[in-house]
Amino acid sequence: MKKTLLAAGLTSLLATTAMAENIGVSMALFDDNFLTVLRNGMIEQAGAMDGVEIQVEDAQNDVAKQLDQINNFIASGVDAIIVNPVDTSATEAMTNAAASAGVPLVYVNRQPVNVDTMPDNQAFVASNEIESGTLETFEICKNLRAAGKGAGARAYLMMGELSNQAAVQRTKDVHDILGTDMCNFIEIIDEQTANWSRDQAQDLMTNWLSSGETFDALIANNDEMAIGAIQAMKAAGIDMASVQVGGVDATQDALAAMAGGDLDVTVFQNAAGQGAGALDAALKLAKGEDVDQKVYIPFELVTPANLANYTAKN
Amino acid sequence: MSQSHGIGGLVFDEKKKARAPEWNVFFALILIVVVFEALGAMLQGQSFLFDSADRFDTIFNEQRLKIIILQVAIIGIIALGSTQVIILGGIDLSPGSVVGVTAMITMSFAQVAEVNGLANPKAVFGPAWMDLPVIVPLLVGLVCGIVAGVINGLLIAYTRIPPFIATLGMMVTARGAAKWWSKGQPISFPTDSYAAIGQGMNPVIIFAVLAILFHLILKYTVYGKHTYAIGSNELASRMSGIQVSRHKVLVYTIASVLAAIAAIVLSSKNLTAQAGMGMMYELDAIAMTVIGGVSLSGGRGSILGTVLGSLIFGVIISGFTFLKLDAYYQEMVKGVIIVGAVVLDQYRQQRAAARM
Repeated sequence: MKKTLLAAGLTSLLATTAMAENIGVSMALFDDNFLTVLRNGMIEQAGAMDGVEIQVEDAQNDVAKQLDQINNFIASGVDAIIVNPVDTSATEAMTNAAASAGVPLVYVNRQPVNVDTMPDNQAFVASNEIESGTLETFEICKNLRAAGKGAGARAYLMMGELSNQAAVQRTKDVHDILGTDMCNFIEIIDEQTANWSRDQAQDLMTNWLSSGETFDALIANNDEMAIGAIQAMKAAGIDMASVQVGGVDATQDALAAMAGGDLDVTVFQNAAGQGAGALDAALKLAKGEDVDQKVYIPFELVTPANLANYTAKN
Repeated sequence: MSQSHGIGGLVFDEKKKARAPEWNVFFALILIVVVFEALGAMLQGQSFLFDSADRFDTIFNEQRLKIIILQVAIIGIIALGSTQVIILGGIDLSPGSVVGVTAMITMSFAQVAEVNGLANPKAVFGPAWMDLPVIVPLLVGLVCGIVAGVINGLLIAYTRIPPFIATLGMMVTARGAAKWWSKGQPISFPTDSYAAIGQGMNPVIIFAVLAILFHLILKYTVYGKHTYAIGSNELASRMSGIQVSRHKVLVYTIASVLAAIAAIVLSSKNLTAQAGMGMMYELDAIAMTVIGGVSLSGGRGSILGTVLGSLIFGVIISGFTFLKLDAYYQEMVKGVIIVGAVVLDQYRQQRAAARM
């Protein structure tokens, strides 16, 4: 009797061990606000599931370190790997390493250059970057028209880090929207980078203000820069009601700035949703199930009208 | 016998010395301003420093003068520490990371309980730790600086590992601690009294006060004389009875405390603390110091030079934006200026040595 019980116990123990899925995650960097929300979304999702073990590592923005981490995951026999690529053009080697070991791989948030040639057990989960800058700029354009500035308006454009795909794409979106018939009344006075940083944005905005040009809008590639610009404008005594300010990310700080009447437009990128979506895809691939190779989590426009829906999300 | 500070252990006569090296930095500053004025007149039809559009009551464009100093004030505070460390013959790579971790920890003790009528969404501690008097975060910040600096100093003075390695270790460790503190989450929404520290031109005032203070200290106190002496010739200083090890701990501690002050001003100015804050600031601070004529081989340089070096930085940043120069070129030109300054420094040193 005792033996049977022991055997039964052992079997169930073995069974759970066999059922547990080990997922290795390599994040581009830990000290990025957005990626932190994404990472925590993934960790929370895994914690809520039975038998999912995830191990998250920080590639510290180093392409070589990230590839080493992936090879280490493969060597330790994980069931699937999730990668938030440091450099979207350096993913070929990661794809090859995982493919030759037969380990499923999911890219999250940043679109790998080889997205169309990946093997079947690899996937990509993100939001379609084209949406964010487009939603932001179009809303600002509509607001400027509504404010009676449809005959001509002037805007400053603040860009993220120039080596970063999101900055390049969002900037292009701005230009694309301003090229349309409906929005071509907006003229860009100058575009400069503030490297996603609030501090640099404050300084850049103050430098712009020192030229004394009149302007109607500030379009920033992210919220942190929009907030920095707002702080500089307020310090210079500019009436925030007369300027349209837009950002992307819908961070808590940005939502507070919107509630205070300073920020007019931001765009919510569902970071936690991307993290959870990536984990979901990785688990399915690990079980041998079919997954769409491109999973898009939509961007959502946030304005003072629907602000209340987002205060608990990021 | 009138003596000035020495070079490479040699002491030379005040009378033989050519004009102070700070003058060279000052002329470089003027030259750069003139270049921007000329380019501005040609390309923008506007003056760089003067009020050409008649927007102010003064003859200068006040706003631009202010931002030129404001945007370098915080790194300038760090550079005051770097100056002392480099004069001592050392190097400190850690202040950028010390800024990061100090900002995170300090801001945690400076949060408000309520934002727009709702609970603070970025709260680190419970309600009992919110809305504290401003002295609490200030003391916490200074303690962070002292701890980092004492560790740096003890490692360098007593284990004899090179300052480059010791402070490199602190740079990596402190950045790690900054990320660990709130698991990478930014910390925002400080109390009004904390937010007031870095508003308006306060960062410039704090920078100026600290610069004058340390200028006087380096020039007129035993602390200053020992710093120059150790940087010029450590062995000779030891022989003549200076407590070299103890002095090193003191200098590195002061450098880290200055970084902590910079962190307080920066997080207050931005109303947020983030784990990546202060990244690469140490290199900008060292660059300002070197441009200001402080010799990387130790024993030579001054706070005045560093302040002028920081102004050169500020003029360049504002000048680029004023000219609407393409963002891609800005960093390249900045790099060239830093290397150019060091080349000039080498040249000056050789000439000074030849005069002896």
